[in-house]
Formats: sequence, C-alpha cells, structure tokens
Amino acid sequence: MASRHTLNGFVLALGALLAVGCDWPGKPDPGTRQRAAEELTSFVPLYRQHCVGCHGADGQQGPAPPLNDPLFLAIVPDAELERVIRRGRRGTPMPAFGIEAGGELSDAQVTALAQGLKSHWKSDEKLDEPLPSYLPADGDDSTRQPGDRERGATLFAVACAGCHGENGRGGEGSDANNAIHEPAFLALISNQALRRIIITGRSDLGMPSFAGKDGRPDDFSTLTSPQIDDLVALLAHWRDEQGQLANPHTSNVP
Amino acid sequence: MNHLLRELGNWIDVRVGYSETLLPMLRHPIPRAADGPMGWWYVFGSASLTFLLIQILTGIGLSLVYVPAANEAYESLVYLDYEHPFGWFLRALHYYAGSGMVVMLLAHMTQVFLHGAYKYPRELTWMVGVVLLLCTLGMFFSGQILRWDPDAYWGLAVAGSMAGRVPVIGPWVVHALLGSEIIGAAALSRFFALHVFVIPGALLTFLVLHLWLVLRCGISAPPAADRPVDPATYEAEYHEELRQGVPFLGDAMLRDLFFSAAAVIVVVAIAAVVGPKGPTGPPDPTLGGANPRPEWPFLWLFALLALSPPAAETFIMLVFPVVVIGILFLVPVVSNRGHRAPSRRPVAVLAVIVIYTTLGALTYLGVTAPWSPEMRAWTSAAIPTDVVERSSPLELQGSLVFQYKNCRNCHALEGVGGRRGPDLTTVGTRLTRDQLIDQVSNGTPGGGNMPAYGKQMSPAEMTVLADFLVSLRPSGQPPAKVWSSSPTTRP
Ligand code: HEC
Ligand code: HEC
Ligand code: HEC
Repeated sequence: MASRHTLNGFVLALGALLAVGCDWPGKPDPGTRQRAAEELTSFVPLYRQHCVGCHGADGQQGPAPPLNDPLFLAIVPDAELERVIRRGRRGTPMPAFGIEAGGELSDAQVTALAQGLKSHWKSDEKLDEPLPSYLPADGDDSTRQPGDRERGATLFAVACAGCHGENGRGGEGSDANNAIHEPAFLALISNQALRRIIITGRSDLGMPSFAGKDGRPDDFSTLTSPQIDDLVALLAHWRDEQGQLANPHTSNVP
Repeated sequence: MNHLLRELGNWIDVRVGYSETLLPMLRHPIPRAADGPMGWWYVFGSASLTFLLIQILTGIGLSLVYVPAANEAYESLVYLDYEHPFGWFLRALHYYAGSGMVVMLLAHMTQVFLHGAYKYPRELTWMVGVVLLLCTLGMFFSGQILRWDPDAYWGLAVAGSMAGRVPVIGPWVVHALLGSEIIGAAALSRFFALHVFVIPGALLTFLVLHLWLVLRCGISAPPAADRPVDPATYEAEYHEELRQGVPFLGDAMLRDLFFSAAAVIVVVAIAAVVGPKGPTGPPDPTLGGANPRPEWPFLWLFALLALSPPAAETFIMLVFPVVVIGILFLVPVVSNRGHRAPSRRPVAVLAVIVIYTTLGALTYLGVTAPWSPEMRAWTSAAIPTDVVERSSPLELQGSLVFQYKNCRNCHALEGVGGRRGPDLTTVGTRLTRDQLIDQVSNGTPGGGNMPAYGKQMSPAEMTVLADFLVSLRPSGQPPAKVWSSSPTTRP
C-alpha cells in the first residue's frame, strides 16, 4: 500500500528534522535577545528613533536647527548639549527627553546621544577664525554688555536684509517668503537658537554663517560675539512688539 | 505475555465494565452514506479534539516554567524562548495548535450548518457547540494576555472598556476581570486563573456533554435533497438507516485519525518554521513604538470598531457581540425541520458566503489598515526634505509644531507616518486655512478619531501650524478656496 510508504517517509523526515533540531528556522535567534533585554545606548539607532523627526535624517535638512554642523559642534559646550537633550527648551518644540523630565531616555542614553553627535559629525578640521561663543554674554563676563537693538537694526540692514528683506519683512523674488519678522515664528524659537542660527547659518538651506559673505554686501565684515548679541536683541524685540499676537491670522498666506 | 495482558484486561473489565460501555460507544453504528467519500466532511470535529489534546499537553509543559507574576512573566517567556531546550517549540506549538483548533472548530460548525445537521434531534448538540466555540475563543483571548507584552496591555484595555460599558454592573465586571480599576499585576493573576482553571473546566464539561449528545443522537447521514427532516418521522427513518449502518470503529475512525495526523503535521511544521509569537517587548505600559494588535480571531471585531463612527462604538462593543452569539445560538430553534441539503437551502448557503466574506474583508482590514496610531512617528519620521527646502521660516516652525503635537503619529506625509487619519501631503489643496484651523481646534466632533487641539495650543502654534498645512501642496497648485474641496471645482 502506497500510503504506508508515505507514512514511513513522514516519520523519517520528522526524525531528521528533530535530529537537526538546533537549526530549525523557527528557533529564536539569540542575537535578537540582547536587543530586547539590554538598553540601547548606541548613537545611530537612538538618533533615528528620537531625533530624525525634527532634526532631519542626517542631522540636516530638518525643520529644527541642524545638529550635523561642524561649526555648531565646535562651539557648543558638552554640558549644554546634554542639558538640552535632557531638559528640552521650554516654550519651543524641542522636547525634554530625560526620564526625570518626563521623557523616555535614561542618563546613559542622553550621554550616548550627546557624545555621539560630536563623534559622528564634528569635523577634525581646525576652524581658524576666532569663533563666537555659543552661549550669550552673561553676568560674570564684565567686559560684555547686553545686546542693543538699535545697533542690531543697523547690523541687520547690512548682514541680513539682503535675504530677509528690509526689517525682516521678507525679501524680493525668490526671497519673498523669507520673512522672520513674524511674531508667531519668533514666539516659538529661543534666543539661544536665534543666536546659534546667526553664528552657524543654515548651510543645509542656504543661509550663510556669521563669517559667510554669500548674498551679503561688500562692506559686510565677520560678525563678532557682541554684534550677535545685538542682532538677537533686535529679533527678541520684534517678538515682543505685538504683545499677545493681536491677530494671529494675518501672517503670510502665500 | 499476551495471555497475561488479556487476564489483566479482563480483571479490570469485570470491575469497570468498559466492554459494555466504551466498546459499544466506539462501535456505534453510523449511517452507511457517511462512510463513503462523503465521510471526509465529518473529520473536522475530531481534529478540533486532537488539537485540544495537544493544547492540554503543551499547556501543562508551559505551566511548569511560566511564572504568572507581572514582574516575572516576561522573563520566564524569554527563558523558554532562548534557554530551555525546545521551550521555544513548546510555545510555538501551543500557539499554532490553538489557532488550528479555532480553524477546525469553524470548519466543523460550517459543515454542520451547511448540511443542516443541527436540525431535529440535534439542536442541543449545536447549542453546546456554540458554547464550546466561545470557550475556545476565551482561551485564545486569555492566553494572549498571559504573554504580558504590549499586545496584552492592549487586549486588556479593550476588554476593560468593553466590559465597562455594560449598564449597571459594568464597573463591577471590570473589577472582577482586572482585579482593580487599572491594568496591573492583579489582572495577570486573574487571567492566569481563567486560562488554566475556569475556562478549561467549562470547556471540558461542555465537551463531555457535546460528545454524549453526539453519541446519543447519532451521527447524521449526509443530507439528501429528497429527504427533509420531520420530527414526527425522523426517529424511525434514522433507525432504519442505522440498520444498514457500519460501525464507527473502522474506516470512519481511520479517516478521522488520518486527517488529524495530517493537521498536526502541518501545525508542527508551521511551529518549527515560524517559531513562537512574541513576547513583543517588556511589559512596560509607557513603551511606545509597539503597534499592538489583537490576536487574529478578534481582528475582525477590532477592525470593525476602528472603522465605525464613534457614536456606534458602544453598540459594536456591547450589543453586536451579544446579537451575533444569540443568533448563532438560536439557529436550530429558528429552523429545526425541513430540508437539510444545501441545494434546497439557498439562503443558508448565501448566509455562509456573506459571513465569511465579511469576516475575511474585516480581518484583512484589521491586518493592513494601521488603525492604531504609530507612537514614534513624531520623533522618528522626518519631514520630507522637499517640504523643508521650500518652506518659509514660519512654515518650518509649523512643521515643528506638527511633529511636537504628535500629529504625525496619525497623519503620514508622503506616505511616512501614522495612518490613523488621512495622509496630509496635499491637504493644502483640499482645505482652506479656516477649515484647517477648525479641524485642528475641534478635532472630530463628538471626540472620536481626532482629538481637539483648540485648548492645547497657543495662538502662535496655531498660526504657524496653519501656515504649514496650507503650504502642503504640490508646487504650482494654488491653496484651496472656500468649498473647493470637491474635485469638480478644483482648478
Ligand atoms: C519635536 C521636534 C524635535 C525633536 C523630536 C528633537 N528636537 Fe532638538 N530641537 C528642536 C527645536 C525646535 C530646537 C530649537 C529650540 C530652540 O528654539 O531653542 C531644538 C534644539 C536642539 C538642540 C540645540 C541646538 C541649538 O542650535 O542650540 C540640540 C542639541 C537638540 N535639539 C538635540 C536633539 C536631540 C539629540 C534629539 C533627539 C533625542 C532632538 N533634539 C529631538 C526640535 C526637536
Ligand atoms: C544669503 C541669504 C541670507 C542671509 C544674508 C541671511 N539669511 Fe537667514 N536664512 C536664509 C535662508 C535661505 C534661510 C532658510 C529659510 C527657509 O528655508 O525657510 C534662513 C533662515 C533664517 C532663520 C530661521 C531659521 C530656522 O531654522 O527657522 C533665521 C532666524 C534667520 N535666517 C536669521 C537671519 C539673520 C538674523 C541674518 C543676519 C545676520 C540672516 N538670517 C542672514 C538666508 C539668509
Ligand atoms: C489620534 C489620531 C490623530 C491625531 C493625533 C491627529 N489627527 Fe488629524 N485626523 C485624524 C483622523 C482620524 C482624521 C479623519 C477625519 C476625522 O475623523 O475627523 C483626521 C483629519 C485631519 C485633517 C483633515 C484632513 C482631510 O483631508 O480632511 C487635518 C487637516 C488634520 N487631521 C490635522 C491634524 C493636525 C494638524 C494634528 C496635530 C495637531 C492632527 N490632525 C492630529 C486623526 C488624528
């Protein structure tokens, strides 16, 4: 009877399968276990899971300030980097990621991210110019004074108006929607981020750095730290001048 | 040796009497027509039984290692998966044999229904069968909870909100089920007790009753188009049929055995190749990222839930299952006489086709339609670079608010992101600025699918967000004008 042979075949096949049991495809791969049990502390997957949404896939070309920017990474203090990741920036869309601040990341993970940013994206090239400080002037630096918006306005006309329009109201032609004199925009960005944008520019979107000459008149000279304070003071003034956003719907409908 | 065994057998038989009880049961005659090729229709019930046996054996094996405590359940499953020899296989087999049992039960019920075998005098057999189906589904559900991973939390949350809607006793039922008002350690113990004591107890009791009824009423002959059931004469006719019948112990039993063996081999192969299911992650309720799904026998119900308007939710959660079960239960009461042959019962055949098509379509939707939000999209799905490049500073800020407020968890951009709500890549061509602000402020009216953000956003956030949404258009397309959302008026 043929079916007896078939049955024998089945039994044999099953026995053979059992013999090589260790190689059954269904057996869970021990490699996958580590990942479940151990905490993730390597930069790339952490960055991909938590930061790509705002800072862009390669740390560039996202809506938030690019993190893959050698100039930024050269001037930002390590402690500040960790602080921002852990605590976020209040009033801006930068969330707090530290567990103690309501986020998901452990101390080790925050540190892995902060260090990973520098080890992955900081360039070894020596940046020769004197670099402005990342943090603004503060009390214990007696030689520096708080920014002055009058001086800032003069600087703006030279260093910024070419692209952002007179008084930051938007330029001409292709720069028409480049306005930054917008209370709603300024309300959601910190002075620190403004300062940083002025220093590093946005190389990914075509905005020059504090030393860049592209799109700027010939009499432009590299911005100094106090001058950047002045510019930030001007932008901060624009943020506040309309009070509580009298009419939120008048902004630029394209 | 043989002699000794027979002696022993006799000794026991004199005291137990199995040759007068058990053997006649096995030898009970079945209609001759059920012994031919038609006999292959009758194998599904015994295959369910075979799977039940496997479930009991593998279940005992698992219970030797599994720890039903919230802080250890996950670890013990991981131990089974990775360290205990063949522990992973035990888990896989328990899962796939359980699935096989549900499949066989459905096949069995469908066969009985199509052949009208539930008609007089087998109405009660059918009703008990429905209870067995419910018990099996209950086993499936409670078993999934024991995995104590994000899927389990999800299942509990839905079960809790389902039970909580029962009028008056709802809160009490929730408490009885979960052991407290919230999902926690107590729930695991409860579901462990349900899964290994309460439901199996009920299942086995009703199974004995079911088998007893099968023996007592006999196996129905395959339906014949010219022989409708009439309770007044059926008994005599069936008796006549049995007189020319054949004993069950013989070809019929071999057929059952052969089919069961084949089904078991298939399930063993699947278990060996696919491996155990889950646990998908440590049991941390705050853990996002997972995309919890109910087990497949429930997918259709949850897909139905997700697709229905919020107003119908209570109905679907509470009334609908009761109605479905009620209808199943009452099938033999509604029609216990008349034709049995499918060729004479077009409505019954149509009902089967419609029910299976609907279940299939809903299950498909449950598998593919990602109706639960994607919890990590807001930090892990990048804003498309072409959008970033063409954006003004205001719109950039708006896209940040879009991410920050978790819109991305439900709304994809260029296909990436959650899919609970529509893809918003071109929403600027569909809705005007005012309509967008209205949608975001008020969400879905009645509070269903989309939350209302009006109170959670500052005017600045709303402004930049609206700017961003208006800008979501293919280049060159003008923004939507009032009521231009219908395709005909679009430029
Ligand atoms: C929801 C959007 C969002 C996510 C997600 C996000 N960020 Fe940010 N991030 C921002 C915004 C917006 C700013 C600028 C805030 C401000 O105005 O100061 C910022 C600023 C920063 C800064 C300071 C940059 C500077 O120019 O001073 C660092 C560092 C940073 N983010 C790191 C991270 C890391 C690391 C992650 C992932 C763990 C992350 N961010 C995830 C939105 C986000
Ligand atoms: C060569 C042209 C150019 C000049 C000069 C320039 N910018 Fe920009 N700026 C840009 C571009 C391009 C962007 C990106 C805008 C976009 O894509 O939305 C930008 C963006 C910005 C942003 C928003 C960044 C963000 O992430 O949202 C700020 C703030 C800003 N510029 C301030 C300044 C200030 C202050 C100056 C003067 C010190 C200045 N810019 C000079 C071109 C310029
Ligand atoms: C929990 C999921 C969820 C979240 C979070 C969510 N939405 Fe929605 N959204 C939906 C669903 C579902 C719809 C479909 C229409 C409905 O049911 O009202 C929708 C519809 C919309 C629409 C109308 C789309 C169209 O083509 O008609 C817009 C615009 C929208 N949402 C914007 C947003 C924005 C902006 C946010 C963040 C502030 C957001 N949604 C957050 C689920 C969500």
